Amino acid sequence: MRYLLQRFQRLLIVLAAVTFVTFLLVNVLPGDVAYEIAGMDSSEEEVQQIREDLGLNRPILVRYGEWVGGIFTGDWGRSYLSDEDVWESITDRFPVSFELMILAQILALTMAIPAGIVSAFRPNGRGDRLIGSVAFASVSMPSFMTAILLIYFFALYLGWLPATGYEPISSGLWENLRPMILPALSLALVEWTVLMRTLRVEMISVLQENYIALARAKGMPNYRILLVHALRPSSFSMITLLGLQVARLLGGTIIIEQIFGIPGVGRLLIHAVYTRDFIVIQGCVTFFALAFVTANFIVDIAYAWLDPRVRTGGAHG
Amino acid sequence: MGEIILDVQNQRTAFATGRGLLQAVEGVSFTLERGKTLGVVGESGSGKSVLSRSIMRLLPGTAITGPGSRVLLNGKDLTGMTEHELRRLRGPEVAIVFQDPMTSLNPVLTIGKQIAEVLVFHMGMSKRAARAKSIELLRAVGLPQPDVRVDQYPHQLSGGMRQRVAIAIAIACEPDLLIADEPTTALDVTVQAEILDLLGRMVRERNMAMILITHDMGVVAGRCDDVAVMYAGRIVEKAPVRELFGNTRMPYTAALLASIPRVTDPPHRKLDAIEGRPPDLINPPPGCPFAPRCRFASAECQQQVPALEGQGAHQYACIKPLNTGVAA
Repeated sequence: MRYLLQRFQRLLIVLAAVTFVTFLLVNVLPGDVAYEIAGMDSSEEEVQQIREDLGLNRPILVRYGEWVGGIFTGDWGRSYLSDEDVWESITDRFPVSFELMILAQILALTMAIPAGIVSAFRPNGRGDRLIGSVAFASVSMPSFMTAILLIYFFALYLGWLPATGYEPISSGLWENLRPMILPALSLALVEWTVLMRTLRVEMISVLQENYIALARAKGMPNYRILLVHALRPSSFSMITLLGLQVARLLGGTIIIEQIFGIPGVGRLLIHAVYTRDFIVIQGCVTFFALAFVTANFIVDIAYAWLDPRVRTGGAHG
Repeated sequence: MGEIILDVQNQRTAFATGRGLLQAVEGVSFTLERGKTLGVVGESGSGKSVLSRSIMRLLPGTAITGPGSRVLLNGKDLTGMTEHELRRLRGPEVAIVFQDPMTSLNPVLTIGKQIAEVLVFHMGMSKRAARAKSIELLRAVGLPQPDVRVDQYPHQLSGGMRQRVAIAIAIACEPDLLIADEPTTALDVTVQAEILDLLGRMVRERNMAMILITHDMGVVAGRCDDVAVMYAGRIVEKAPVRELFGNTRMPYTAALLASIPRVTDPPHRKLDAIEGRPPDLINPPPGCPFAPRCRFASAECQQQVPALEGQGAHQYACIKPLNTGVAA
């Protein structure tokens, strides 16, 4: 319970910091939403009037306080431009971004775990060197470059997968997954290498442990030593990274959603930034921060599953 | 003569290091019969642990085994065996108990799983049968509440209890040979005797052979049939335990015995520590490896390495053996 309370405190601090900083940043940007609403040929008076109407001339702290108050009562505000409810427009689009991120992490893990185990089994062996080179090439390319190469190869050249688009899950699971594969892969091809290298390093040291020597002395075959005895104690850093990567993935999806024409939160955010629709920006950023903290909370729970010593807390001996 | 379980012939183990070849075990030979316990005594770095790993063929990739070395377990030569063949012997024919029970059990698996996997893998037991047998084994090694403990993790057990679990794992498949590599060094003094008694009882009840590795002469005294004293990778003296203590020949053995503090000593008496350090095993000096530290050494001792010789069961590698008991 104390553990949960601590996490909750952390959540509040992160949210306060993140939202306040974005609030300030959006305010120092040149131009504001009033210009956008007033249109190209409006006079300075009209713009001023719109600012007055929206309450934009009031001091930053007052507006920030008002906005925070709204969040606590479940009111995320309405877009200055479309008058759409911010909470609704985010939650409408978030499942799409979420699916993309989860898919990317699953792909990254399915590449990272076997590759990390093979690399750690014989460090500097042939397999390790090959995997290392592939990983290095893979991480050296930014995800949007990877995305373009993937589109060229799989969509244009082979014609296996669509280059852009999105299908809701109601059209069927495969129909829904098909256009998601390339975007998820573009993200995963950057993320997997970090996970793989982390797992490799940790597993190399775990394989030196006495309990691994004992497993060998018990006559256990290599696959069992690697998968049953070594994998779990070797995955702590990798799991931590998995949570931290959510931040990078959130950033990555914004670009990837643009390239592949996926209607996720990323596109909402980019549009809001262009139009200085800062109540939407605020909403998106807050939501991202929430998602990030939640992901790391799940990671903390995963620790307890991975390591029984965390579960019982006060361990003796 | 009883049935010979283990026959080690001229075991030589070296490690490739940056400075050159480190000769950790140099020409060790001995046999061990069923039901007998051999104590292997020596300082840190004398090659005791490498010897135990050499017998089990559990050496790291940098290890090099000498061409003439042979290890026969129940008459089967382990030297030429593939990893796959060895795996089937580890557990059912030879098992080991490591020094530190804090690190030798897997922290993320329940102790029940760690015992049961041996039974499932080697004896083909079902998971249920293996669990029942695990509880039985835990009871046999004197772990209280075995049916509760079986589902606990190592961190929930004390050091002594963990070592009992390690022993349960080792005896699970009824091996013929048990290697105990300093099984009590990491434990509280009060628990040491219990664990040693347990090991002794297991050897008797299950009619195994045991190699008890230790740096503590006191551990060897009451619990072994034969004792081999190792120094710089070689056996320098080997004898039945009474003979070794009562009729020590090798000055190194004598020095080891003299370095044990006695309760009858007056307080604040300086310990008879052995002067100097063990020799460099990469560039060993010529002659007897102990000569530089030996108070009886002469120029002769530095000519060549003395062979392990002697009448009957008492053998020693010394050209100037002590004739009367403990010299110091």
